[in-house]
Amino acid sequence: MILTLAVIFPLSSAFVIPLLHLYGSRGLRLFLPIMGLGAFVLTLAAAASGFGDYALAFFGGWPARLGVVFVADGLSSVFLALAAFGCGASFLYFYEQMGTGPWRFYVIFFLLQASMNGVLLTGDLFNMFVFYEIFSLAAYLLVSYSLTWQAVEAGLKYLVMGTVGAFFILLGAAYAFIATKTLNMAALAASFPQMPKATLIVIAACMVVGFSLKAGAFPFHFWLPDAHSSAITAVSALLSGVVVKVSIYSLIRVSLLFFGDALPSVFDVITVLGVLSLLGGHLMASRQQDIKRLLAYSTVAQIGYIMIGVGMGTATGIAAAVFHSFNHMLMKSGLFITAGRLAEEIKTRNIQDMKGLYYHRRGMVLAFTVLAAAIVGVPPLNGFMSKWYLVVASVEKRSFLAALALVFGTVISASYYIRVLSVFYTPGEGSSEHESRRPVLAIAALFSACCVVLGLLPFFTPIWELFVEVGSKALNTKDYIAAVLLK
Amino acid sequence: MIKISYATAIFVFCIGLYTILSKRNLFKTVIGLTIMESGALMLIVTAGYVHGGVPPLIPMEGQAVNPLPHAFTLTAIVIGASDVALALALVIKVHRRYKTVDLDKIRGLKE
Repeated sequence: MILTLAVIFPLSSAFVIPLLHLYGSRGLRLFLPIMGLGAFVLTLAAAASGFGDYALAFFGGWPARLGVVFVADGLSSVFLALAAFGCGASFLYFYEQMGTGPWRFYVIFFLLQASMNGVLLTGDLFNMFVFYEIFSLAAYLLVSYSLTWQAVEAGLKYLVMGTVGAFFILLGAAYAFIATKTLNMAALAASFPQMPKATLIVIAACMVVGFSLKAGAFPFHFWLPDAHSSAITAVSALLSGVVVKVSIYSLIRVSLLFFGDALPSVFDVITVLGVLSLLGGHLMASRQQDIKRLLAYSTVAQIGYIMIGVGMGTATGIAAAVFHSFNHMLMKSGLFITAGRLAEEIKTRNIQDMKGLYYHRRGMVLAFTVLAAAIVGVPPLNGFMSKWYLVVASVEKRSFLAALALVFGTVISASYYIRVLSVFYTPGEGSSEHESRRPVLAIAALFSACCVVLGLLPFFTPIWELFVEVGSKALNTKDYIAAVLLK
Repeated sequence: MIKISYATAIFVFCIGLYTILSKRNLFKTVIGLTIMESGALMLIVTAGYVHGGVPPLIPMEGQAVNPLPHAFTLTAIVIGASDVALALALVIKVHRRYKTVDLDKIRGLKE
């Protein structure tokens, strides 16, 4: 019940908002915070219900082989929590800045949240494609929401690339359907190991290309820097923090469930893609003069980190990838919110024009510093912890090249984040003392505090063991199949 | 017979992909998207084919074709239509600014 509500509540909110708007702005002002909070709470509740044991919801009472089923397990729970926090933060930021005025934004926003929850929960391949497309469509709309020429062009580019990726996923799903006559993911997973190798390779190629296009891994990354840097601040934070992670989730889910036993060489391909996007993203980021583009290319690199973790295909690798996804949501949403706000206030995105920001916008720059230190991987912060576990996982798997790339990438990222920070702290022609409004500062402070806490937590509580458990449960496809098909 | 239709579907898919990759006209890119979509959908529809099958209606005489792919196809057509609609809307916005749909003449977002 709670699983379906996590999709239905934001979905119906999206359609109620225009009706409320018809009856004046009072209703909107009253209900919009309730909708945001409700979606947040329900998503978290769905995450909590699936964390310990498999939580299932069957539509219309049909068994899983015949109908559509929602499944929440450890992996989807972590990503649901990630989506809840990321969406919540970006909702808060936008609401604080704009109020209830631009109601169309909220329609698209809730549509995005509903379909994201759908992708994270669904146990049916075609259903996943449908949710995936609703969520991509909402994302294209959000990118071009401001209708400036950059936003429109970036949105169009994102749409073309994203749709090509979607059709590759559809093609993969079609092949899977032809081969097995079913689209239930558990049933597919059960019948994949008996399939001929050539079929598996074709399906795997379609899926990996499709999801890499959607996630923006290196050879397919062209749209990502444009889309993430041209959107408005709240959307940039949402895209980099959450939307990309949903694609990563689908990649993890599909590759583990379908190809974990049947075709392990998929994981080598994912590792290679990860190494490429890590190095490519960092190298491109170090050449950027525009702060939001720099952050966007850094996202490409961080996707590389996560994909290396996935490509290890071991419990520690998956756990490190999931942990890094969560940390990256905190760090990159925070960075986009602080940097976007600073850029809006001084009306330029050029890094060289940001001299002396520290002297008149102390709070924001301090938060940015903590978040940048976290994403580079300065020891007691969360970025260090997850990168450490990624390196440990890749050394355990004896892929020393991947481990070397992880360390080398960190050095490059340190160089360009230090370049940004040194500009911020250089005394420059400062405008008058001016501090951002309290709520934005509070959001930025919350993100940086989370980074510190999550970095210190593994020393005191067995949080890493929790992630390893999630990873090993995600690897255990037999349990998943049994839980879904036998109920 | 069924092999030919599979090959046709993939051939159409590849034509769409080639159109998107090679053409510099934004409208042709959108057309390429729809062609790609048709290719994928043709593959799904073919999946439901049963040789000598009858429509899956009661009362049934003989083996029925699989009706599931048609439901998938209808859903996917709706999704594709909304994708194309949004793409065309954005192309119009781009055209209003640049007075052209040629990608080479659109300065565009560069590094």
